[in-house]
Amino acid sequence: MQELNWGLPVIGYLFLAGVGAGAYTVSSSVLLRGGGGFGGDHFNIARFGALLAPIPMIAGTGMIIFELGTFQAAVAQGDIGLFFKWINLFLTINLSPMSIGSWVLALCILASVLYAYTFLAKESAPDDDKKGLRQGLAWVGVPLGIAVAIYTGVMLGIMPSRPFWNSPVLALLFLISSMSTGVAGILLLRAMFGKAHATATGESSSDGGKSADRATYLLASSDVLLIGFEVLAIILFIMFAKLNIGNPGYAVSIILPGGELATMFWFGVVVVGLLLPVLIELRYVVPTLLYQQPYAMPRSIEMVVCAVVLVGGFMLRYVVVLAGQMTGPMGI
Amino acid sequence: MKATATTISRRDLVGNIGKGATLAAAVTVLPGKAKAALGNQSVHYAMVIDARKCTGCHACSVACKTEFEVPLGVHRSWVEYVEKGTYPDVSRSFLPRLCNQCDVPLCVPVCPTGATYKRKEDGIVVVDADICIGCKYCMQACPYDVRFINPNTGTADKCDFCLHRVTQGLEPSCVNTCQGRARIFGDLNDPDSEVAKLVATEPVTVLRQEMGTKPNVFYIGADHADESDTRVPGQYIRVDTHRPVLERR
Repeated sequence: MQELNWGLPVIGYLFLAGVGAGAYTVSSSVLLRGGGGFGGDHFNIARFGALLAPIPMIAGTGMIIFELGTFQAAVAQGDIGLFFKWINLFLTINLSPMSIGSWVLALCILASVLYAYTFLAKESAPDDDKKGLRQGLAWVGVPLGIAVAIYTGVMLGIMPSRPFWNSPVLALLFLISSMSTGVAGILLLRAMFGKAHATATGESSSDGGKSADRATYLLASSDVLLIGFEVLAIILFIMFAKLNIGNPGYAVSIILPGGELATMFWFGVVVVGLLLPVLIELRYVVPTLLYQQPYAMPRSIEMVVCAVVLVGGFMLRYVVVLAGQMTGPMGI
Repeated sequence: MKATATTISRRDLVGNIGKGATLAAAVTVLPGKAKAALGNQSVHYAMVIDARKCTGCHACSVACKTEFEVPLGVHRSWVEYVEKGTYPDVSRSFLPRLCNQCDVPLCVPVCPTGATYKRKEDGIVVVDADICIGCKYCMQACPYDVRFINPNTGTADKCDFCLHRVTQGLEPSCVNTCQGRARIFGDLNDPDSEVAKLVATEPVTVLRQEMGTKPNVFYIGADHADESDTRVPGQYIRVDTHRPVLERR
């Protein structure tokens, strides 16, 4: 077993920042697509995403501080000065992915907090007085969220000394997984706290239920598509490494059958995180897609699907972060 | 006939232009590249380790520990034992390890705070403990695993060729203490120095050359065997790193 320099705090951060960034991006794009679409239900989805986004991002950023050597020394020695040494990150900027990432993350958190603020009031509506600010922050949110989702993959991917990570596909994989877990986070919140049907708002009682379901259908079918892309990215990731000669092929064998992390990867990431949710979602999405049947996924199943997508997203970061550190270049 | 001739001459012309361009590019680029690799540094410190002379006595590891009061469990320099073969066809050799002070250090571009950098004057890669936040990114990026978090400061730490000694004209502590004179230190820019002569005349190797880091620690007679190299089933290779983490990575 190799020394794990980056442990649970980093894994947790990669996952949580991904969920937050994904939620911000998805919320922004849903809002920009048409703030009040489907009888205001687009706006509701955007609101759930906006209120969710900053929480995991801030929590993840808080976690990652625990992994800093200076923070650990500060705890061990009771030296207050060392606690805040991470400020040094923001006294400079260079081409290190971590430096760029820190700035982008800080900006993204700031923007997402403001964005959440525009949705905070219960009576927020697509055309209220915060519309301008909200729209502006949504325009900012799409690129910022994508940047936060993608930089973690770049950060891990640029090091030839870590052949498992050293693949451009990793950034793509993290980006797609972030978007997918972001959608799952929004759907989960909606299933937990959303009104039973839009009919409850008393708008147009005849159409309200359908429109709410249409909006959920939009997210669920996007999730199917994202999971499809994620499967593709995983296939590409494995192929690029396995069909390569030397270090990448050697490193990727840790997640292939017989490898130390194979079970965790194939069961935790692929079966639980990808196949299970996509099969359940297809069961409900396909009849609507092909036969225009009304879309109605029971809430309990919706919650299960979202939960397993989130578990899968965490397992992906877990396996990737561990595998990268358990393998190294061959030879000396 | 005429048309063919024209075609050929045109093709030749294009070819010649291509060759000329390549040549011009080579002439203009190569010296620039060589210059960039050497930098403008007047001194280019390097170490040659003659593994044939190393007896694995760990005097260098101990000297290094005392020189820097390196805390328990972490090492700036250490000696690995490489055993291979099946009796009676066996070998046992020693591989002293330290920071390679690479010409292309992978740890430097990843540092988010600029705490680690390569000194322009002598090419030594150093960590500024006042700036370093201990994010461990450099520890991931180093292909030689020479970096660690110093538990006292919480910052990244590693061998710096005994900067405080070499700037005073002294040899690094490990070189000073080496019983078999397996470690030789000097200035590669000085053609009369022992390291420059050894690098020029001996079949030197560097560790993990394929990483493209251009290390400045050269080995003579080093066994580059690694446990992951076991190609023949049943072939025995064992590496003792003598560090808390028993495996190389």
